[in-house]
Amino acid sequence: MNLAAIVLLPFFGALLPLMLRHKTRIWITSSAALVTLASLTLLLLSAPETLGGGIPTLMVPWLPDLGLHFAMRLDGLSLLFAGLILGIGILIVIYAHYYLSSRDDSPRFFAYLLLFMGSMLGIVTADNLILMWLFWELTSISSFLLIGYWFQQSNARRGARMALAVTGGGGLALLAGILLIGNIAGSYQLDAVFAAADQIREHEFYLPALLLVLLGAFTKSAQFPFQFWLPHAMAAPTPVSAYLHSATMVKAGIFLMARLFPVLGGTPEWFIIVTLTGLATLLFGAYFALLKTDLKGLLAFSTISHLGLITMLLGLGSRGALLAAIFHILNHATFKAGLFMIAGIIDHETGSRDMRKLSGLRKAMPFTMVLAVITSAAMAGLPLFNGFLSKEMFFTESYQQDLFGGLSWLVPVLATLGGMLSVAYSIRFVHDVFFQEPAKDLPKEPHEPPLMMRAPVIVLASLCILVGVAPMLMVSGLLEPALAAVSGAAGQIDIAIWHGFNIPLLMSAFAIAGGIAIYIGRDELFTFNRQFDHHDAKEIFASVVKRTTTLSDALMLRIETGSLQRYIAALLVISLVFVIPELVKIKALTGDRPQLPVDFISMIGAVALILAAFGTAIFHRQRLTSLMMLSVVGLLVSLVFIRFSAADLAMTQLVVEVVSILLMILALFFMPQRIPRASSGRRVARDVLLAGFVGGIVGTLNYALLTRPANTISDFFLANSVPGGGGTNVVNVILVDFRGFDTLGEITVLAIAAAGIHKLLNNLRPFMPSSDVDGRPWHSTTHPLLVQVVAQTILSLALMVSVYIFLRGHNLPGGGFIAGLVTAAAMILQYMANGVDWVKNRFDYNYQTLTSVGVMIAFFTGIGSWVFNHNYLTSAFTYVEWPIVGKFELATAILFDLGVYLTVIGATLMILANFGQMTTRHRPRQEGH
Amino acid sequence: METLYAVTVGVLTACSVFLILRGRSFPIVIGITMLSYAVNLFLFSSGRLAIDQLPLIGHSETYTDPLPQALVLTAIVIGFAMTAYSIILAVRVRGEIGSDEVNEPDHSDSEGSR
Amino acid sequence: MLSQHLVILPILVPLFAALLQLLPWGENPQYYRRIIGLVSCVILVAISAGVLIASTEGPQVYALGSWQAPYGIVLVADRLSALMVLLTAILALPVLIYACYGEDNLGSHFQALFQFQLVGIIGAFLTGDLFNLFVFFEILLISSYALLMHGGGKLKLRACLHYVLLNLTGSAVFLISLGVLYGITGTLNMADMAVKVAALTGDDAIIARAGGVLLLVVFGLKAALLPLYFWLPQAYAMTTGTVAALFAIMTKVGIYAILRVFTLIFGAGGAEAAMLGYDWLWWLGLATLALGSIGAIGSRDMRLVVSYLVVISVGTMLTTFSMGNERATSAVIYYLVHSTLVTGALFLLVDIIARQRGKTASRIVKGRKLAQHAVLGMLFLVSAITVIGMPPLSGFIGKLFILEAARTGAQLALLWPLVLVSSFLVMVALARAGSRMFWHTFEGKAAEEKSPAGQIAAIALLLTGAVVMTLFARPISSYTDAIAADLMHPQTYISTVLNQSGGAHE
Repeated sequence: MNLAAIVLLPFFGALLPLMLRHKTRIWITSSAALVTLASLTLLLLSAPETLGGGIPTLMVPWLPDLGLHFAMRLDGLSLLFAGLILGIGILIVIYAHYYLSSRDDSPRFFAYLLLFMGSMLGIVTADNLILMWLFWELTSISSFLLIGYWFQQSNARRGARMALAVTGGGGLALLAGILLIGNIAGSYQLDAVFAAADQIREHEFYLPALLLVLLGAFTKSAQFPFQFWLPHAMAAPTPVSAYLHSATMVKAGIFLMARLFPVLGGTPEWFIIVTLTGLATLLFGAYFALLKTDLKGLLAFSTISHLGLITMLLGLGSRGALLAAIFHILNHATFKAGLFMIAGIIDHETGSRDMRKLSGLRKAMPFTMVLAVITSAAMAGLPLFNGFLSKEMFFTESYQQDLFGGLSWLVPVLATLGGMLSVAYSIRFVHDVFFQEPAKDLPKEPHEPPLMMRAPVIVLASLCILVGVAPMLMVSGLLEPALAAVSGAAGQIDIAIWHGFNIPLLMSAFAIAGGIAIYIGRDELFTFNRQFDHHDAKEIFASVVKRTTTLSDALMLRIETGSLQRYIAALLVISLVFVIPELVKIKALTGDRPQLPVDFISMIGAVALILAAFGTAIFHRQRLTSLMMLSVVGLLVSLVFIRFSAADLAMTQLVVEVVSILLMILALFFMPQRIPRASSGRRVARDVLLAGFVGGIVGTLNYALLTRPANTISDFFLANSVPGGGGTNVVNVILVDFRGFDTLGEITVLAIAAAGIHKLLNNLRPFMPSSDVDGRPWHSTTHPLLVQVVAQTILSLALMVSVYIFLRGHNLPGGGFIAGLVTAAAMILQYMANGVDWVKNRFDYNYQTLTSVGVMIAFFTGIGSWVFNHNYLTSAFTYVEWPIVGKFELATAILFDLGVYLTVIGATLMILANFGQMTTRHRPRQEGH
Repeated sequence: METLYAVTVGVLTACSVFLILRGRSFPIVIGITMLSYAVNLFLFSSGRLAIDQLPLIGHSETYTDPLPQALVLTAIVIGFAMTAYSIILAVRVRGEIGSDEVNEPDHSDSEGSR
Repeated sequence: MLSQHLVILPILVPLFAALLQLLPWGENPQYYRRIIGLVSCVILVAISAGVLIASTEGPQVYALGSWQAPYGIVLVADRLSALMVLLTAILALPVLIYACYGEDNLGSHFQALFQFQLVGIIGAFLTGDLFNLFVFFEILLISSYALLMHGGGKLKLRACLHYVLLNLTGSAVFLISLGVLYGITGTLNMADMAVKVAALTGDDAIIARAGGVLLLVVFGLKAALLPLYFWLPQAYAMTTGTVAALFAIMTKVGIYAILRVFTLIFGAGGAEAAMLGYDWLWWLGLATLALGSIGAIGSRDMRLVVSYLVVISVGTMLTTFSMGNERATSAVIYYLVHSTLVTGALFLLVDIIARQRGKTASRIVKGRKLAQHAVLGMLFLVSAITVIGMPPLSGFIGKLFILEAARTGAQLALLWPLVLVSSFLVMVALARAGSRMFWHTFEGKAAEEKSPAGQIAAIALLLTGAVVMTLFARPISSYTDAIAADLMHPQTYISTVLNQSGGAHE
């Protein structure tokens, strides 16, 4: 439980500073410090067990399916890192309090910082690979926020985005690697993974897994060639840089390699990749550190170089190398954190970080100078400072390895070269800044910072010396369990300051001497280096992103042309592509159903239908003609229905036909009557081809079906229509009873369409021609008398007819829908004949209400059956003897059909009337407000 | 007869597809309407073709499959609603944009929205 | 009394609400309509939860008109359907709350159409009858046509016209495939059809397959699968935030339909029509995923980015589903819930951001400082992390499930890189967008008008879904496992549907 608390405290603690937003800054800082302290105390409480050789663990199941558990462990390695994270963390918090100005939003800062701290702790204490990855990504996110803390500055924004892209991207690779490892090991729990080490190393997926994991580690630890994001993380406030570069973030990658060394390490692949990457990074970083003029820039590249050194040691992988690596992690953290703080102090007190401006600060800030000398000495690896010891061990290892056969000698040589460079830039850091003539024209008058701002540095500097003088006393206890965790074998370690005169000592001597030499001759180096033009990684990154964006945009515009024809063509083509492979497999297209003979009338009808269809297509530019042709098609279709014993369909088709043609004629009024230009020949050819294909496929399918014997569920309907549904017209019974729910949905669609159209027509000013195509003005008498008379007679007639059709519907062709459309059509005729005002004066219904009521009737007919404890829409019917009429059926279905009837009238009129009124003063307006 | 029917349906479909691939809203709507006719014929025929077998109980001894008829009836109604909506949408487009072309004349301005 | 009708209530409640809202409500109708709408949505959440609980004891079948399957239409609420219905309800309530702060006044009938939309979606989830599915598709389509036009504006007109005409063509394809399937199997009930199809042999089976792949096209169009997704980005980017947020569930209807039909009818048990179209889904899904990612990184407008996120999610889900194993299906369902909620939240969030930024709107450029910089930034960060699939929120769990579902080498080699690279691209795109919109602001004072707390609460409400899905990942995933098992072994479903008694008519 203790372990969980160590990690979770910072996460919840992150809320404290935000909650104390309105208190003074000291409150906010102390809240953050308190959280860190609490976490640190808990760590120290569990430390003894670890130092005693035990491994405290915690296991809370989370997602067994994924093998993801909230599992924690505190072995030597975890303890070492956790100690660094929290120990330096507390110093950072104190330092930040003095560094941040009152204008900065410090609650936000400390919240981010604590989030980041928690994430780091999570990485180092996770006992489950996926959980570790989870925290890994959290550091990417929180560091993004920290680097972008001063988001008003463009380089902060860019630096943050770059860091996120590189480390977050690496994180995704890491995830893939972890999943591979887990799949091989069968678990993500570290112990299980360690146990399966050999199995993993022999597995075919070893190399991919290794590469993916290393990709994650290298990006995080800014190894060459992924180092470019780190210097730009400088845009963060200095406390953040100090934290990111010393104890955290960049160390996460190192930690990952150390953590997985027992599983992935020790193979040739590991050795080659890791060692060489480390070496390259070491030299690259050191060289550019020397060239930088910005204090923080220098430190950033020196970080890169030191990380390279550690990586290289991990690559070498001998027990000694591992020890050296761990030891140097510790040392580097101490002196680098100190150096960054010093850089921050100088920046803070002089207003500049430019080494070309700064010089001779020793008079103004003697105390700071001393601290700077100590820490830089540690960085340079001078004797009696902690850096020396690990550097010495590094030289020993690089000298003792013989992994490159005849070329092994290169390694120590290059290592020494790296040493020289680091000495050189260390000297530069001190000498350029604190010695030579005191600088004039500094933004601020330099002076010593407040003591509390120095205090953290003092702590770190003294550590550098203490460890450097008495390593065994200070750190052996910490290093032994850590080494045990990495190498997988416990054992004594021995770090001595003096090994006698030997090669490594010589190498150190060379390094120091050479370093001094390089520093003296630095100006030549600068001039030499100037001939290469240096790109700013920020710019490159930005331009890369920009280019990707533009390219993708262009690509998408090419694919999504915004051309409807393309989209519809895609739909049709994909249908063909799907269907054709199936159809070609058919052996006999013609089934063994006896076919009907072709009679003359049908033949004529078919030919007429085909011709009309072609006509509609061909004359599509003369729109009225095309429309007329379409109406012919519709008419003939209804005849087809009659021919093949579907009376209801025929009638429905007919009335729908009438109404929709009416609608289209109305629409045509607002449309351009003729299309100026024809589409290109190629396009026509393409379309004809596609159309032909689609038609052919549909025809084929149809034929295949028609010639096959049918075996359907319909016998049930025929059998139950009268006994169960109380109607002889099976189609109508299906509509209002067997599948009444479909019909309910159908009239709902009508109602929605009506509402939608009303919405469309709201406040629409349509294009309105004052004359027809040939420029003739419209006729002045809008409502000729003859039409009026006819219309009114028809209306009464139509109403009677519709009532008749409605009532007989249940037993003979007809029913609510057809009746409704007939009535509606008659009403429309009134509008056309007499004008809107005339109609409005006589029957002033709100069609919308009518529609809604219609659907409601159907709706409640369905509900009604609940009263009899039956399912929705269960019909009931009875026969009553009426005096004159005789036997008459009363069925709930009739009520349902009444709903249909009213809905159809309401919806149709809502559509047509509203639309017809577009030209009048009754143009629909948005109601409601 | 079946062949004739299938051919007719095929031709109807082909013609409407051709119309749907036009560049202006009105022909497209006409095409969609005609396509719905073709589709209705197709769906209707899934009950196979039968002459003088009205599905009215007592009207004859054998009946054609009534279910497809019911389905087509629903389809017709829905098709009507859809046609109505699309045609009026077309009018609105024509009214607000001033042209009845379904695509923007050039896509240069569409970049602004991306 | 109502308990026995529980299954149909999720359809009837919004339908009744919509009909009520269509009535004239005197001087200030919007007030009453809002109340009706909100009440309906609250009730909907409650009863959907009820349906979900009921469905755990096996599929709940409701025979309409008391006509037993396959003759009458049945509603079937098995675990999957119930979950989808509940998801719809959970999405709808916050979206409607958000809309009630004035968005619904941008054009008439918004409230009614919103309810109708729900009727269509929920009906599609519940129905067990293929033609009835068509009817509900049409209901949700016609309402979506109308909703898409909400708020007017020239820009969206063409996008809307494209959407309408394309889907009308799609409906035609649907009817043809229905004709084929009815013509060859002689039934419309899905369970019954599953039995009939499994019995088909030779040419008949092939014809049924032809009908099946046509269905795949139709559902692919709804789900926005390449090459049928082209309509989506512009349409979603043009319409108002609320409508887009509601549409977050629309593509899922297509996904659901594929999951249902291509496990039940054309699944492993489909005899000669088994595993129909799975290969197509695999490749097209991958392509969709890739193109969606490219679109996301290429977009210069935040709405468009989110639209492409929808496309990405579709590609991810269909590819994963096509792997055909139980883990994969379970992963798909978990991911489906997650992506619906988070994309819904994102659409609303972008809407607020756009309003507060004034004329730069949602374009990814330097702009005015937001009035509620802090809280909106927080919400954006959370939703971004979730949708990218970064820990600790639901996204990464969904992604892990999907990656874990890949079994064979080929699946690993294609799915993993694509999914991970697409996450990377989305991360870069969102980091860019976020830094432009929240960090790269003009000097000077921020926008004046703050957005009502209710709207922000609505977004937060949706995002809590992501948190819940993380904390309770275990029970949720075991539930999705159960769903996957149901889908892979549909025998229970079939027998329950076909053996239930109609009642009244016996």
